Amino acid sequence: MNALRSFSARADIETILAQLGAERLDVPVLQPADPFLDTAGEELRRRIFLSESETGETLCLRPEFTIPVCLHHIGAGESAPRRYGYVGTVFRQRRAGGNEFLQAGIEDIGNTDSAPADARSLADALAFLEALGVSAPTVTTLGDQAVFNAVIAGLGLPQGWAVRLSHAFGDRATLDATLDALAVPPPPPEVPADILEPCEARDRAALVNALSMRLRIAGLENSGGRDADEIADRLIARFDAAEIAPDEKALATLRTFLSISAPLNEAAGALAGFAEAAGLDLSDAIAAFGARATEMEKAGVDTAAISYDAAFGRALDYYTALVYEIATADGLVLAGGGRYDRLLTMLGAGSDVPGVGFSVWLDRVAALTGGDA
Amino acid sequence: MSTRITIAIPSKGRLKEEALKRMEAAGYGVEPPKDARTYRAAVAGHPNVEVAFLSASEIARELGKGSIDLGITGEDLVREGLPDSENRVTRLAQLGFGHADVVVAVPEPWFDVETMADLGLVAADFRQRHGRRLRIATKYWRLTQKHFSQTHGIQLYRIIESLGATEGAPAAGQADVIVDITSTGSTLRANHLKVLKDGVILQSQACLFAPTPGTDDPDRRETVAALAGALGA
Repeated sequence: MNALRSFSARADIETILAQLGAERLDVPVLQPADPFLDTAGEELRRRIFLSESETGETLCLRPEFTIPVCLHHIGAGESAPRRYGYVGTVFRQRRAGGNEFLQAGIEDIGNTDSAPADARSLADALAFLEALGVSAPTVTTLGDQAVFNAVIAGLGLPQGWAVRLSHAFGDRATLDATLDALAVPPPPPEVPADILEPCEARDRAALVNALSMRLRIAGLENSGGRDADEIADRLIARFDAAEIAPDEKALATLRTFLSISAPLNEAAGALAGFAEAAGLDLSDAIAAFGARATEMEKAGVDTAAISYDAAFGRALDYYTALVYEIATADGLVLAGGGRYDRLLTMLGAGSDVPGVGFSVWLDRVAALTGGDA
Repeated sequence: MSTRITIAIPSKGRLKEEALKRMEAAGYGVEPPKDARTYRAAVAGHPNVEVAFLSASEIARELGKGSIDLGITGEDLVREGLPDSENRVTRLAQLGFGHADVVVAVPEPWFDVETMADLGLVAADFRQRHGRRLRIATKYWRLTQKHFSQTHGIQLYRIIESLGATEGAPAAGQADVIVDITSTGSTLRANHLKVLKDGVILQSQACLFAPTPGTDDPDRRETVAALAGALGA
C-alpha cells in the first residue's frame, strides 16, 4: 500500500492521467468546508476533519476531489471545456481503520456534448484500473437519475410524492420505505379555521392572504425564508393528497421499473418494453440513454459486461443522470463516477456548466494488486 | 491511590440548589466550603467523599475523561457535549428536577409542516426555491444532526450555531427553524414557533452519571456504589 505513496508510483499515475489526455491539476489539501457541507449535507460534518482559520473561516481537509476541482474551474473563470486529472490524499473520519486514502481521477467539466463525455468517463475509469494492473474481473453497475425522474414525471404523481421519491433515489432502504408510506393516504394537517376554510374551498388567493397575515404576526414576512405562496401550494397539495386515494397502479409500475436490471447493450430495449407495457412516454430519456450506450460501444467499452440497474443511484441531489460504480466480484468499490450537471451552479457558477467525472480508490486497488500498482 | 471519591455538582443556579438538597436527603449533607471562593467541599460524616463544584457542561466533559467518579448534570449537556456518550458514561438515575426538552420548532404559520417527514420535504427542495439550504439555529448541533440525519434521514440542511436567544433566529432571518431547549413552551409560543409532533429529540432532566467503566479500586467502587444508591441509583 505504501508503494502508492512513493514518488515513482505517483509518477506512474501521472503518466496514466496524461495518457488518458487529462491535464494535471493540484488542489490544496486544506479547503473551505462550506461547499462540502452545502452540497453533501450536514451528515458529512461527522466524517470530515474540520479546522478553523485565524479569521474564523471553517476549513476542512479535502474529503474528495470533485468539489475542489469544480471550485477551481469556477474560480479560474474557465469558459472552455477542460478535463482535469488529479491524484492525492483525501481525508475521511472513520471509527475504525485509516483516515487517509489515496485517490486519483478525471473530471470533465464544461463539455455540453454529454453522451460522448459520459462514454469517455466510463471508458477512462476502466482503462485507468487496467493500467494500474487490475486483472481480476470487475463488475460495473450503471444507473441513471434522469430515467428515474422521467418515470416519476410520466406517472403524474402528486407534487409531494415526486419530490420524496426523487430524493430517496439512490438509497434503496429509504426508497422502499417511501413507497410503503405513499401507499397509505396521509390525513390532511390540523389547521385553525381561518386556514382550513380556504384550504377546503381550494381558494388559493384567500389562503395566501390568511397565511400572509399569520406570517406578518409572527414577524416572518420579510425574513427571507418560506413565504405564503410556498406554504399555500404545499397545503393545497396536502389536502389534495388526503382526498386522492393512493394510486396503487402507479406505485406498482414504479416497483416494476425499479426491478429492471439488464446488460447495458439490452437496457434501452428493456426500458422501451417497460414504457410500452406501462403506457408511459419515456422516448426522450430512452433516446438519450441509448445514444450514450452507443457512444460507450464506440469508445471500446464492452457494454454486454455492464449491468444497468434501474434502482442504482446516488443520494446526492447534484447527480443528474449517469452514475456508475466499478467493483470487485465481492463488492469492493474500486472506482465510482457520474454526471453532476447541477453541482457547478450550486457551487456558484453563474450559468449552467455540465460535468462528469470519476475517482479511483488507489489504496483498494493497491491492496488488490499486491501493492505494486 | 486516594480512597476518596469525587462527585461533581453544578456550581450555580437551580441545578446546584436541587442537587445539594438531594445530597442532604440522601444523608450526604455538603458542608459549605470554609472559603466561599473555593470549588471543593467536604461531606458531613463521609470523609471519603469530596464534592467538586463545576459548571454543568464541564461536568459532562470531566465524566468523559473519567476524572470524577460521579456527576450530577443535565442529560442534554452530556448527550450534546460528550461525543459517543452512550459508551463513555452510564446514567445511574434520573433525579426528577431540571426538566427540559430539546425540541425541533418551526414557525407557527408553517401549517403544512407537522412532522419531521414534512420538514424533510421542505428541506428537499429548499435550495431550488430559495437558493440556499434550510437553516437550523441551535447550540445542540450533535443532537440535531443525530435526530435529522440518523433518525429521520434528512441531510439537506445547514446548522447555524446559536449561542443565545435561539428562538429569535427565525424572525431575525438568521435561520428557518430551531432546535432548542424548552420547559413550558411559553418562550416558543411567544416567538410564534411550534414543536413538531415527532420533534422532541430528548426529554432531559438532571441525572446522576458515572464514567464507564469507572474505577477498578474495590474500596472506591464501594464508596461510589453507596453514594449512588443513596441518590436513588
